[in-house]
Amino acid sequence: MIELQNIRKVFNQNKPNEFVAIHGISLSIDSDRVTVFKGPSGSGKTTVLSLIGCMSRPTSGRIRLSEREITSLPERFLTEIRRQTFGFIFQQFNLVKGITALENAMLPAYPLGEAHTSFRKRAMGLFDLFGISQKAESKVEWLSGGEAQRVTIARALINNPSIIIADEPTAHLDTKLSKEFMEIVGRFKDDGKTVLIASHDPIVYECGVVDRVIHIRDGKVEGGT
Amino acid sequence: MIFHPAIIALYVSSVLISFMVLYGASFGIQILRKWDIKSGNELQLILERKTYLISTLLAYLFGFQLLSLFLYIFTVDQLSTFFVGAMCAAGSLYVNDFGYPALVLKMINFLLAGLWLILNYADNQAYDYPLIKKKYLFLVILTPLIFAEMVLQANYFLRLKPDIITSCCGTLFSAEGSSLSSVITVLPSIPMKIVFYLSMILTIALGVYYYLKGKGGYLFSSLSVITFLASILSIFSFVSVYYYELPTHHCPFCILQGEYGYIGYPLYLTLLGGTISGMGVGVLMPFKNIKSLSEIVPSLQRKLAILTLILFTLFTAMITSRMVFSGLILEGY
Repeated sequence: MIELQNIRKVFNQNKPNEFVAIHGISLSIDSDRVTVFKGPSGSGKTTVLSLIGCMSRPTSGRIRLSEREITSLPERFLTEIRRQTFGFIFQQFNLVKGITALENAMLPAYPLGEAHTSFRKRAMGLFDLFGISQKAESKVEWLSGGEAQRVTIARALINNPSIIIADEPTAHLDTKLSKEFMEIVGRFKDDGKTVLIASHDPIVYECGVVDRVIHIRDGKVEGGT
Repeated sequence: MIFHPAIIALYVSSVLISFMVLYGASFGIQILRKWDIKSGNELQLILERKTYLISTLLAYLFGFQLLSLFLYIFTVDQLSTFFVGAMCAAGSLYVNDFGYPALVLKMINFLLAGLWLILNYADNQAYDYPLIKKKYLFLVILTPLIFAEMVLQANYFLRLKPDIITSCCGTLFSAEGSSLSSVITVLPSIPMKIVFYLSMILTIALGVYYYLKGKGGYLFSSLSVITFLASILSIFSFVSVYYYELPTHHCPFCILQGEYGYIGYPLYLTLLGGTISGMGVGVLMPFKNIKSLSEIVPSLQRKLAILTLILFTLFTAMITSRMVFSGLILEGY
């Protein structure tokens, strides 16, 4: 269970360009479900995901993750939670150029101190699962959009997180690849993972695997919590 | 004032430390009044973010505070060439009324700053700021002492005049005088040796027991303080004379000079370091049952206990080896 209690997020507070991105959102999100945050650009979807994923802190309010309050945690505890609880899939892929697809997928595993052979084996297993094992040693700049997307998914799963956060994951994919992505999301759900997606793509929020759609507009949840 | 790089460094750093500690204390008062971990209001979240920054800055400042004691002693020792009559730091400190009070306060602040660092370290290991109010209350109490040290030290340095004739350590720490230093100096050596070795052996034995069993923390901590006091008195009474190989010379400062291999620095460093870590065990005792610290504090206390054992053993070994190999045979009095 993820609980947001009266969350506010203000950027550039007390400056002329102050912007209130989130206006006191309170939400409860069930575990092991697929939840989509739907709303137009600038509505605050990405901000909500970044707050839940411990990538930024709210201006006020609290977030509880499996009964543990996370907004008051010092930064190094947040780092641990980010590494072990969350897997991130970004809109722009954010793959590191100049190194191979496999190395990219393994990057989040290095700080945990696990044996290299162990997480390399796990990364190869994920590449097999997503049908891109033949691209493992290819540089990421040589990959197609769909292949790059799968590498980012493998990277998100390398530490076996319980929560997957995906920000506009289909923004750069065609219809076929978008549907394939949602099939993969269905597999996450079957594996008991919690999936949080920010998207305004109908292929995503109308997909059968989605359990709940939360409408966000102007930093507020529409239609209650 | 004498313009000397170390004096300027000490003066500027003490001003910086004092005002940063004052800022930290004003933030601490806000913590003491407004901190509520259960609240998610804006002020609480600001306090949570700021305490991380402020406690990190204070940790570095107090780190320098620890170093500054030795820099002060070193500087004062170097200054002895400027004053007629001064042979070491003892004479330099005596040139005005602020030298010795500044030194005593620096030693007190050294111990307190060390304890604050231990408390801060323990607090930062936990996820829910369990000691935050205690450490900031401690900081608020410490602030006037840091300021007083700055004022005393500044007065001492600003009132230094090279034409002053001062007393040498032979006069200040002689058995003939009636001052406190003379009283300490004439403490008989055989009873002091018994007190020193007894307190040291008891502390080390209890430290080993605490390390193995995790019991007797308060007693071990109290004994560390007693051992510290006994060791300081012992340096005056009999340790110094073995180094100087002169039964009438009891100066605690000449051992800081190159002539004696700067042995005073490792001696005082091991003694003060061991005392801080020993006291730290006791300071942490009330917090070992706090849920988020229940694993952190006992482990930290054991590390502090072992550090005390190592430092006190080194201190005793240095003194004992000198007593054994010194050319002086002190029959005792």
